[in-house]
Amino acid sequence: MLKIDDQKCNACGLCEKTCPFGAIAVDEGLARSDENCTLCGACVNVCPQGAMAIERKQASPEELAQYEGVYVWAECDLNDGKLSPKRVVYELLSQGRLLADKLGQELVAVALGDGRLAGLESLCEYGADRVLRCEHELLGAYSTDGFTNVLSAVIAGNKPSVLLYGATPNGRDLAPRIAARLRLGLTADCTGLNIDEQGQLVQTRPAFGGNIMASIIAPYSRPQTATVRPNVFTAAGPDPLRPKVVVDVAVTLNKAAVRTKVVEETVLGGGEGESLESATVIVAAGLGCRQGGGLALAGELAKVLGGVLAASRPMVEAGLMPVTRQVGQSGTTVGPELYIAVGVSGAIQHLVGMSSAKTVVAINKDPEAPIFKVADLGIVGDAQEIIPKLIEDIQRQQADA
Amino acid sequence: MHEITSQPLDLADYRQVRRVQGWPAINEQYQAYLRDESKLTSETCDYLFFPQNEAELAAVVREMASQGVPLTVAGARTGLVGGSVPLRGGLVSLERLNAVEALYYASYAREWRVRAGCAVTLSDLNQMAMSKRFPDLERAGDQAVLAELARYQAEPGDFFYPPDPTEMSAFLGGTVATNASGARTYRYGATRDWVRGLRVILANGELLDIPRGKYFASSNGRFTIFDSQSQGRQVLVPDYSMPRTKNTSGFYAAPHMDLVDLFIGSEGMLGIITTVDVALCPRTPKCSLVQFTGSDEQALDLVESLRGQDGLQLDFLEFYSQKAIELLRRRQAEEPVAMGMPPIPEDAGAAVFFELSFDPLAVDQDFSLLAQAVERVGLSLQNSWAGYEMRELARFKTFRHMLPETVNHLISERKRQYPGLHKLGTDLAVPDDKLRPMWKVYQEALDQAGLEWLAFGHVGNNHVHINLIPRDMEDMQRGLELYGRFAAQAVAFGGTVSAEHGIGKIKAKFLKEMFTEPQIAQMKAVKRALDPQGLLNPGNIFLS
Amino acid sequence: MNIVVCVKQVPEISEVKVNPETGTLVREGVASILNPFCEYALDHALRIKQATPDVNITAISMGPPQARAALLRALELGADRGVLVSDRRFAGADTWATALTLAAAVRAVREDFDLILVGKQAIDGDTAQVGPEMAEILGIPQIMYGVRMELTPNGKRLRVKRESENGYQVLEARLPVLVSASKGEAIRRLPSFADILAARQKPLEMITADALNLSEEQLGLQGSYTQVVKIFPPQAKKACRKLEGLSPDQAGREITSFLSQENFI
Repeated sequence: MLKIDDQKCNACGLCEKTCPFGAIAVDEGLARSDENCTLCGACVNVCPQGAMAIERKQASPEELAQYEGVYVWAECDLNDGKLSPKRVVYELLSQGRLLADKLGQELVAVALGDGRLAGLESLCEYGADRVLRCEHELLGAYSTDGFTNVLSAVIAGNKPSVLLYGATPNGRDLAPRIAARLRLGLTADCTGLNIDEQGQLVQTRPAFGGNIMASIIAPYSRPQTATVRPNVFTAAGPDPLRPKVVVDVAVTLNKAAVRTKVVEETVLGGGEGESLESATVIVAAGLGCRQGGGLALAGELAKVLGGVLAASRPMVEAGLMPVTRQVGQSGTTVGPELYIAVGVSGAIQHLVGMSSAKTVVAINKDPEAPIFKVADLGIVGDAQEIIPKLIEDIQRQQADA
Repeated sequence: MHEITSQPLDLADYRQVRRVQGWPAINEQYQAYLRDESKLTSETCDYLFFPQNEAELAAVVREMASQGVPLTVAGARTGLVGGSVPLRGGLVSLERLNAVEALYYASYAREWRVRAGCAVTLSDLNQMAMSKRFPDLERAGDQAVLAELARYQAEPGDFFYPPDPTEMSAFLGGTVATNASGARTYRYGATRDWVRGLRVILANGELLDIPRGKYFASSNGRFTIFDSQSQGRQVLVPDYSMPRTKNTSGFYAAPHMDLVDLFIGSEGMLGIITTVDVALCPRTPKCSLVQFTGSDEQALDLVESLRGQDGLQLDFLEFYSQKAIELLRRRQAEEPVAMGMPPIPEDAGAAVFFELSFDPLAVDQDFSLLAQAVERVGLSLQNSWAGYEMRELARFKTFRHMLPETVNHLISERKRQYPGLHKLGTDLAVPDDKLRPMWKVYQEALDQAGLEWLAFGHVGNNHVHINLIPRDMEDMQRGLELYGRFAAQAVAFGGTVSAEHGIGKIKAKFLKEMFTEPQIAQMKAVKRALDPQGLLNPGNIFLS
Repeated sequence: MNIVVCVKQVPEISEVKVNPETGTLVREGVASILNPFCEYALDHALRIKQATPDVNITAISMGPPQARAALLRALELGADRGVLVSDRRFAGADTWATALTLAAAVRAVREDFDLILVGKQAIDGDTAQVGPEMAEILGIPQIMYGVRMELTPNGKRLRVKRESENGYQVLEARLPVLVSASKGEAIRRLPSFADILAARQKPLEMITADALNLSEEQLGLQGSYTQVVKIFPPQAKKACRKLEGLSPDQAGREITSFLSQENFI
């Protein structure tokens, strides 16, 4: 509960102004909270009188101290018949290395798969001190039950202090299942990770469609677990001199434990190489491209720049692009070097999905379009008139060079 | 009082006014300013001005008058009849006169009002009124203004500005100059009913400040307008009577009329509206409803039943004819998601779209009157779509836009084969008792001619838009002939040739359907009294 | 067959704005709606009901008293019964405490459930964690991101088409199972006006923590493993160089020179 000390409260109203949820009102000279209060603590931090407090239960430091090590789930994809780690795993290892060094603990990657697991040594080159290889014929393809059983057994046995997953579809399927089994705090879709003075993992994530950021801790459960948004952290270069330690872990898993059965599988589009998530140049088409061949123009621009064509949600909803090409909150989060938004107005849900883009160019008719707020270069104008000229110019430059 | 005196404005330097000069520069870089939604496009224009206040506008008017150069006035250029498209001379865009000047409570009228520059858009005005945030007023920081704003914000209910001519990016000033109306006119009237005062720059460059309720025509039908040099001009109010329908053709005229009403709907012929006072209306929660019917006939039955049901207050009544529903169904089959609606029921033959007050949290609302009105014509509320959340209301709005959009799409496809082809849309309204006779005229003539057509629109005001979708130039020709016949028929039924789009340049040829030569001469006399040189908006309303 | 659909009331995110001075959310005038993904979940329940005799749909929501409106919406769309789980002691619940509370509520009001449907995620928090956590607490399998589902002919198993990272998968599981719904091809339903009136006659109960078999320590903030320690506005990007009024030629050249300056060409 939020406790308000009426003796200390001087009705300055700062809490009312600060509350992100509109849950506090100063009434008859005293601050009062209502049922919208989420105990986020914004008011506690801001109260100049120290009149606000939130009761939180305490955990014993001895208990927490038993947990050591930063663990990363090394999610693998099937490429050319091999199960090799996804790109996000390397991003997690780079950030995990920093966290582990701050804590003075080891960094461990845990890979689950069948005999086709490959390239695990590279995880050490990217920062892991050890790789735990969990091999079993039932782990060849992802299943919630199979992976939950095996990974939670590894975690329960090794007692790490931090466990990270990529916030991929499977990562977001698996992490909450394990959190619930082991009674762990879990933070979804983090964009920032740090260690505070008490050695706690501070997990930062966007909320309310990216309008606001929240920092979250898990003070009395270990390991502290988080799913981490792909493309937020940069994978550092490999160090081939690091020792490569890959340890096999005995796995027991019986078929009956996996309660879902794959009946059919359809793969659309190419592998990870062509996916939006890993593209370095993206041209995104919005509603401004809906008519008059705008989409084709955007596609041509992408081709000229060696990039990938993506779309905003309305384009997908209009049935003009497949959902696998959708950037944004309900689509894919991207982090390219260059993002060209063509006729995309920039609804907040879209901006959330492309906020990690390094350089953004926006073309839009509406000078007030929110996309300009995140653009480095913004052109107010009709994309359909501009793009043909732009393509000509680029091709001329490329020919000159 | 029928006498009023115009005021000179502080002198602004004509040379300081932002402008683009010369046809080549304007034609190359400011294409958008040379046309409106009618797609009528200017072929010559020597100046394009962007005055930032009334004084600069007055300076432009005086300078152009001294050179004898006519001036066309443009707002957001959302009109459908070419009113803002310059035929010659200069074009003045009012887009910079876009500040909200005041928000005040008129205690004698018990209503909240906004005074806004003519270039405030309807969507911004509504956004401000509904969110109760007025950035212009907050920025000004005047204590008295802020106190009044705080009082408005403390009002328990919500407010809105009712006129809704579909295109909400229209400028307030433009909607006043054209007396814009829309679906909600059924309940709330047209723009005229919400205007409480105007500031107008006359052709002599002086300003008239006209609050509603102060200046009325004398008993012999005159206004006398003095300029600052005490030169008086007589304006004789025409003696024709206005049709009993919503109407935007010709100058407004009535015995003892308010001077404000002369300028409303005058399409910029008598002066340039710079500032408008409008009233806001308390907003109650609404529910949108599309009631499907078996046929066009049954839809008209439903309209009459709903309209005749005492105690039932609907915000608007819109019609989708059988052919309109069929077109939407085909579109939905091609793009199921674009429409944002579930499949149109298979047995739907036509539909009526309306809106009524609905409080989602009230426990004891009684809708038996509605149920009765629907069941009386053999329909059931089971066979409807309904929604009341803001996002749902927006969804219905998108659905409403979908029909004209689909028609335009179809036309532009056919245009590839026949470049001269365009949509033929009517804007005719008739009195209540002529709804069915007029419908019969449409149906028989169009089907007999074998044309592809559909109907939709403001059936509550007996103002159904007929859209002809010509397949070739022959269809075009036959459609144009029928259009003339329909216009004459609507007038014969006591209706109007232009219910909401105005006359502008595109429909000037239809004015003679509604008015006799002497009546048109009376209108021209009003124009001459206020703009003797004929400098303002040449080509609008009167064939030149 | 008994289906439980867990729904959440959320603010209409597209309307939420941030006060640039204080960095806090401006929620004045922001409508509360039924989370769209929850509507898709309900849509699947209704499709199953249409194809199968004797299906009863219970919509459950945890939230403040005004979340009743979201349940009312569920009833308008076709749920048979609404249950609001509401108590000030739930304040501060993280996804774990929420999942524990909802699971207890399911046990309290519909212990003999066959299928639990949830939305893929809520558009305010976007965690997508409550569903899987509930499934684990209730000890049932889960299938996430479902876009189409149907019972097998004997009615004992559910077959779900789901979005996978690079395509689609069809999974099957024996009932009871928890499925989360993605948008897929779904178009939100529209009730008839008759449905809207009828919903106001359907049962809509409210229960508190007392009806759940949980201890005080398991509720709200006390029962949560995570805590929000700070809320702050996202970092603003450096100002955009915005060019207006250029001709298409000029615009093309500006972009090209920018791209080559940034080494993309």
